[in-house]
Amino acid sequence: MCGLCGLLGEQAHWSDPLGEDALWRRERARRIHAINRAIAPSRLSVTDFQGVAYLLQGATGRQQLASGLDELWRAAEALLGRALDPLSPAILDHLEAAP
Amino acid sequence: MSIPFNLVTGFLGSGKTTLLKRLLTGEALGDTVLLVNEFGEIGIDHLLVEEIAPDAVLLPSGCVCCSVRGDLKQALLELDAKRARGELPAFRRVLLETTGLAEPAPILATVATDHQLRGRYRFGLIITVVDAQHAVTQAALHPEWLAQVAAADRLLISKADVVDADAIDQLRQRLSRLNPAAVQALTTEIDDHDALLLDAGVHGPDPGGEVAQWRLFSPPKASVHGEAQVCCLEFDRPLDWMLFGVWLSMLLRCHGQRILRVKGILDVAGSASPVVIHGVQHCLHAPVHLAAWPKGERHSRLVFIVRGLEVAALRRSFTAFLGRAEHAL
Repeated sequence: MCGLCGLLGEQAHWSDPLGEDALWRRERARRIHAINRAIAPSRLSVTDFQGVAYLLQGATGRQQLASGLDELWRAAEALLGRALDPLSPAILDHLEAAP
Repeated sequence: MSIPFNLVTGFLGSGKTTLLKRLLTGEALGDTVLLVNEFGEIGIDHLLVEEIAPDAVLLPSGCVCCSVRGDLKQALLELDAKRARGELPAFRRVLLETTGLAEPAPILATVATDHQLRGRYRFGLIITVVDAQHAVTQAALHPEWLAQVAAADRLLISKADVVDADAIDQLRQRLSRLNPAAVQALTTEIDDHDALLLDAGVHGPDPGGEVAQWRLFSPPKASVHGEAQVCCLEFDRPLDWMLFGVWLSMLLRCHGQRILRVKGILDVAGSASPVVIHGVQHCLHAPVHLAAWPKGERHSRLVFIVRGLEVAALRRSFTAFLGRAEHAL
């Protein structure tokens, strides 16, 4: 836990980096970039929050904090009112247009 | 060290209880706790040595049989507490017999994701008993049957003595098409020492041996089986673990109900050893590193068993997120 702000660290998840901790920050930045590519067609964006959480923002400015990928997808669902579908043509067209 | 937790499932009347009753008379389950719904259902009165708690009895082999009165989490935490206090003999594994209509995924999720349970127990095997006599009818009428078969690590065929050899052969082929990675056996071939029942799968001492049995590298030709489909993705290039995690976690969140099983062995960029993943519906286990590639074949393969999901869209999505799959079968 962060002593200053009381934030708990990101929840352990099966998709966490398999290698050393030193890679963690770099992998986290890459992960946020990959998430943003996938959620951009839904007019959502993600930024890092203190290195321990994700700050998800919707098109209307609504925001939600999420700790870990599972929480992030749930938060996106809450903002959008539907699940983010990685099989949806809108997401796939977007990813294929700029591989 | 966490304790392996194996699930014995199967449709109503499939013969789970008959199998367990037979195994309980042997000695090899002496270091096992068997969780059941009700003692009455399993009929162990004649075996009973003593009641060691209101909901736990000791059998001659040393096996402790407990009934799950409330929720599973509470039952497992109580088991652990009783063992720590010396009220229960030490045990090396837990077997849970589910009710016939239970889908395995919620039970798996309880054990895999609960903060209190995660360090104490680890998920081992899903053992599904398949009734040879009624499999066709159950498959046609009950969606739970497919979920139980697809989720299985072991498929134990019961009542083989009441149907002919051809019917058994057809059932075996059908099960192979549905779940190519599960090991099959007849219940009559299983004894109380059988590793098919007592192992912990990839979370046991020999994960490489377990993965070698998955037959990921020899998939069935026919991939469509009624409403279920088997989708294999194979690729030669090392995989980006971070992109894979984003893709699969998003997929399982949205389509977990339709992904009955996923198993895979992955060549991950930056990792010398192969990484094994497997999960049921929304729930994915912690990845396991193997010491070496089975049969020396260094390439990634993922097998999905899906229901009501477009396989073409799944392949397209994988490629869009991670890059081109070299061979999509």
